[in-house]
Amino acid sequence: MTATTTDRGVHLTGLTKVFGEGDAAVHALKGIDLEIASGELVVVIGPSGSGKTTLCNIIGGIETATDGTVTVAGEDISKTKPSKLSDFRRDHVGFIFQFFNLIPTLTARENVEMIVEMTGRGDNTQVAAHLESVGLGDKLDSFPAQLSGGQQQRVAVARALATDPDILLADEPTGALDLPTGRQILELLQELNRQGKTIIIVTHNLSVGQIADRVITVVDGDIESIKTNETPAAAADVTW
Amino acid sequence: MKATTKKAFRDLWRSKAQVIAVAITIMLGVMIYIASAGAFQNLSASYQATYDRLNFADWTATGGDTDAIAQAALDAGATDAITRTQVDPPMLIEETKLVGRTIGVPTDAHPSINDVDVIDGDYLDDGATDQVLLEKHGAETFDLEPGDTIEIFAATGWVEVTIQGVVDSPEYLWLARSSQEIISDPNSFAVVFAPEESVQQWFGVEPNQTLVVVPNGADARVATDATQPWETDTGVAVSDAMTDAGASAVESQEDQPSNATLSEDLKGFDQLSVAFPALFLIAAGVTSWVLLTRRILQETPVIGTMMASGAKRGRVLRHYVFQGLLMGGVGAILGVALGIPANSAMTSAYTGFIGVPDTVVLNYPWMLVIGFVFGITVGMLGALGPAITASHIAPAQAMRPASNSSTPGAYSRWVARQTWIPVSGRMALRDIVRSKRRTFATMMGTVLALILVLTSVGMMTSILSAMNTQFEDIELEDATAVAQAGVGAEDALNDVDGVETVEPTVLGQVAIEGPDGSYKTTLTGYEPDTQMHCFFGPDGEGVSLPSDGILAGEFLAEEIGVEAGDTVTISTDAGETEVTLVGFLNEPLGTSAYATNATASALLPDEGTEAFALAFDEDADRDEVRQTITQLDGVVAYQDVRAIVAQLDQYLGLFWVFIGMMILLGTVLALAVMYVTMSVNVVERTNELATMRAAGVPLRKVAGAVATENLLATIIAIPFGLVLGVWAAAQFLASFSDDLFTLEPAWGVWTLPAAAAGVLLAALISQWPASRAIKKVDIARVVRERAA
Repeated sequence: MTATTTDRGVHLTGLTKVFGEGDAAVHALKGIDLEIASGELVVVIGPSGSGKTTLCNIIGGIETATDGTVTVAGEDISKTKPSKLSDFRRDHVGFIFQFFNLIPTLTARENVEMIVEMTGRGDNTQVAAHLESVGLGDKLDSFPAQLSGGQQQRVAVARALATDPDILLADEPTGALDLPTGRQILELLQELNRQGKTIIIVTHNLSVGQIADRVITVVDGDIESIKTNETPAAAADVTW
Repeated sequence: MKATTKKAFRDLWRSKAQVIAVAITIMLGVMIYIASAGAFQNLSASYQATYDRLNFADWTATGGDTDAIAQAALDAGATDAITRTQVDPPMLIEETKLVGRTIGVPTDAHPSINDVDVIDGDYLDDGATDQVLLEKHGAETFDLEPGDTIEIFAATGWVEVTIQGVVDSPEYLWLARSSQEIISDPNSFAVVFAPEESVQQWFGVEPNQTLVVVPNGADARVATDATQPWETDTGVAVSDAMTDAGASAVESQEDQPSNATLSEDLKGFDQLSVAFPALFLIAAGVTSWVLLTRRILQETPVIGTMMASGAKRGRVLRHYVFQGLLMGGVGAILGVALGIPANSAMTSAYTGFIGVPDTVVLNYPWMLVIGFVFGITVGMLGALGPAITASHIAPAQAMRPASNSSTPGAYSRWVARQTWIPVSGRMALRDIVRSKRRTFATMMGTVLALILVLTSVGMMTSILSAMNTQFEDIELEDATAVAQAGVGAEDALNDVDGVETVEPTVLGQVAIEGPDGSYKTTLTGYEPDTQMHCFFGPDGEGVSLPSDGILAGEFLAEEIGVEAGDTVTISTDAGETEVTLVGFLNEPLGTSAYATNATASALLPDEGTEAFALAFDEDADRDEVRQTITQLDGVVAYQDVRAIVAQLDQYLGLFWVFIGMMILLGTVLALAVMYVTMSVNVVERTNELATMRAAGVPLRKVAGAVATENLLATIIAIPFGLVLGVWAAAQFLASFSDDLFTLEPAWGVWTLPAAAAGVLLAALISQWPASRAIKKVDIARVVRERAA
C-alpha cells in the first residue's frame, strides 16, 4: 500500500540500505535524512561506491530501503512491494542514464513511443513535441546510429519526459559525453527545471554541481555536506 | 503500427538468417506432422474405402458344415453370410510351378462378400466353367493379361483355364498366403478366383469357408466401447455362434493376413508422425530460445530502462513472446502450406506403392489446426523463457553497460595458468564456461541433431542387420522345393546344375496353444545336423534341434504364456498333439517353430508331398535353377529365399524413403540449429571481436578462436548426443517390434563415428557464415551502437 500526500517533493528519513547479510553486509546508506523540494534541481556528488547511485535508485523506486521512510511525489514508497513500484515509477519518475539505452532498430520518435506504449502512460501524439523540446525536431526519424552522442542523450531525455514525470533522475547524464555535448545536456536539464520539473542529477563530476540549487555530497553512505548555491551557474558556463 | 510491433519486426529482420533457420525448423516439424499424420489417416481411410466398397468380410470361418455355420451367423445377427470353397493346389503359370490358391466365386453375379474389383478384362461369364480371375499380384509377377491361360492341378490332373480378368481383392491387397507367410517369393504364390461349381468339381470338395458381415451402425456399437463391427456384442455373438456350429477356426478382419500386415505397416506411420515432428519442434524451440536469449542479453539495458520507466513485467513479457509467436507463426503457416501437398504426395505414393485401389486424400482441418498450433506454440515456448528473464530484469540494469561479465571460476583461472597454450587457444578454452547458456545451446544443437540422425540411421542399420542376420546367419538355404511324395525328387534336385546340397525338410501350418492363448505359425522340420538353418537362443548362443519337442521364437513366451520346458498343444488339420517347448530362439523375422524332421512329420498331417531345402553353388544362375527345378516331374512349389528378401525390401520400400528423408531433413536440422547457435555466438561477441579486429588481429585468428570454442562445445556434446541418439533409436525399434519383427539396435562399426564426424562437419560448415559475419563487422558501427 502506498501512502499519499499532496507534497510533490522528496522526503527521506533515516534511510538505510544494507546489501548482503552478516559479515558480508555492506551498508550502502547509513540513515540519511534529506528533503528535496518540488521544482528543485539537486546534484548528488560523491566518489565511486559512496552510495549516491543507491540513493538515486531508492528515490526512483528502483530499489527498496532496508530501513527508514521514503516519500516521493506525495507517495510513501518505503514499504511498497516491488511489483507496485513500477506503477509509482510510471506515474512519477523519469530516468536518464549514462548509457543512453536506445533501441538501435527504432528511430528517435519510435524510441520515445515505445516507452509510451510499454507503460501505457503519456500521449503518442506528444512524442514529436517532446523531441522538439529537446532540440531534435529535425531528427524524429533518425536511427540512433545516425545521431551523435549528445543527440542520443537528448532522445533519452525526451523518452524520460514522455510519461510526464514529477521528478527526473539523471544518473551520470554527461558521463559518456564530451564537454560541449555534456553542457548541452545540462542546459536542457536546467531548462526543464525552469519549467518546473524536480531534477536530481547523480554524478562524480564536481563541476556539474555548479548548476544545482543544492549540492549534496555523499561519502561512505552518509551525507557529508549539503551546499546551497544562491546563484546557480548557467550550464553553458560550466567547464571540466 | 505500434512502436513495439515495429521493433519486433525489425529485430527479427536484423537477425533474418537465424530467424529463417528457426522458421524452417518449425516449418519442417509442422510439415512432417501434417504429412505423416495425414498420410496415416488417409491410408486407413483408403483401405477402409476399398473394404467398404468390396464388402470385406468381418469374420471368416473355416471348416465345418458351411451352410449350418452361415445360418448360425445370420441367426446371431449377421447381416450377410455366404459360403465358398478355397483350395491351395499346385499351379503352372508361364512354366513356373507353384502352390497357388483357388477361390470359388459365383458366375451369375459378383460375390456379396469379399467382392473383387475387375481392373482388366471382364468378370466371369455366367455359367462359365474354365474361366478364372487372376489376382493382380500374379498378373504383375508373371506378366499375364486376360486371354492368357494357366494350369491348375486338379484331382484328375492338370486343368487349363483362361484368364477372364485381372482383379483386386480386399483379401490380397498385400499378397500373403497366411499370417506366417506375409513375406514370400512372389513367384511361389498366386491367387485365382474360379467358378464355385468348378472349384468343387476340380478338387472334389465341398465349400469350406463361411464369410460373414455383421452390423456396422453406431447402434451396434453403442452398448460397448468397440470401434470395429466384429468387436461389438453382435460381432462376438456371431463368432461364438459359428464356432458352436462347428467352424474349426474363425478369423476376424483384423487378423486377416493382408489386413494385419498392412495395419502393422501403417502403425509405423502413426508412430513416426509424432516422434519425428516432435524432434524438429524441440529443436526449433531450442533455436528460438537461443536467438531470443541473445537478443534479451543484448537489450538488457533497454529493458532495464523500460522497467525503470514503469513498464509492467507482463508488457515486457508479451513483447518478447510476440517475437517467438511471429517466428513460430511464419514457420507454422509455411509448414501447413507445405504439409497439405506433402500429405497428398505421401498418401498417393503409399497407395500407389502397395496398390490400394482407392486413394483417399483428405486434409483434416483439425490436423492443420494442431500443426499450426504446434508451430506457434513452439515459437512461443522457445521465447517464453527468455521473455520471463527479460520481464525480471532489474531496472538498475539500465545503469550498467550490456555485459554478462562474471568472476572467472577455478577452471578459467587454471586455463589462465596454462601459458604454454597460445592466448587465442586459452580464450577459446575459457569461453566454453564463460557463457554456460551459450555453450549449452550449442551442445543442445549437437545433441538434437545426433538424436534425429541416429534415430533414422539406427532404424535403417538395425533393419538391415536384422535382414542380414535372418538370411545370412540363420536361414542358410537358398531355396525350398516341394514335390509330390514318391517321385524321387531328391535325386533329381541333386542333379540340377547349381544345386550344391539338398536336404529333406518338413513344412506345415500349426497353432501352438498355451495357457494364455493360441498362436498360428509355421512348423519347419530339419535334419538333426542340418546345414540349412542355424538356431540361436535368446542369449545369442547357438542351440541344436532337440531330439524330441520343438523350439520356437521368443515372442511366443509372452504371447501364449509359456516358458522353456512347458508342454504346449500343437493343433493341425490332423488333430492335436502335446509336445515339449524345449527352448526359445532369437530370430529377427517372424515367430516360427522348429523341430527335427521326425518330430515335425509326426505333428503335421501327411499331405502327400515332400519338401527340400536347397543350397546353391556360389556361381549358380538362380533364374536357370528356378526354371529347371520347376520343370522337374512332381515338383509343385519352389521358393527362392532371395526373392523373399526382395519382397521384404518392397514391404519396407516406403519406409526406406521415409527414413532417407528423415536423414536428409535431420542434416538440414543439424545445420539450421548449429548455424543459429554458432552465429548467435558470434553476434553476442561482436564487440570483443570488433575490438580484436580493430587491434589488428587477423580475421583467420579471430574466426579461428570462435570456431575453436564452437567446435569444443560440439565435441563435448557429441558423447551425450551419441548416448541419447542410441537410446532414442532403441525406443523406436522397441515400439516396432512384434511377432513379425524382433528388432534390436545394431550399429555398424562406422555408424557412430560417422554420425559424430557428420555433426562435427556440420558444425564446421556452420563456421563459414560465422566467419563471414566476423569479416563483415563494421567496427565503427559497433562502437556507435554500443554507445546506444
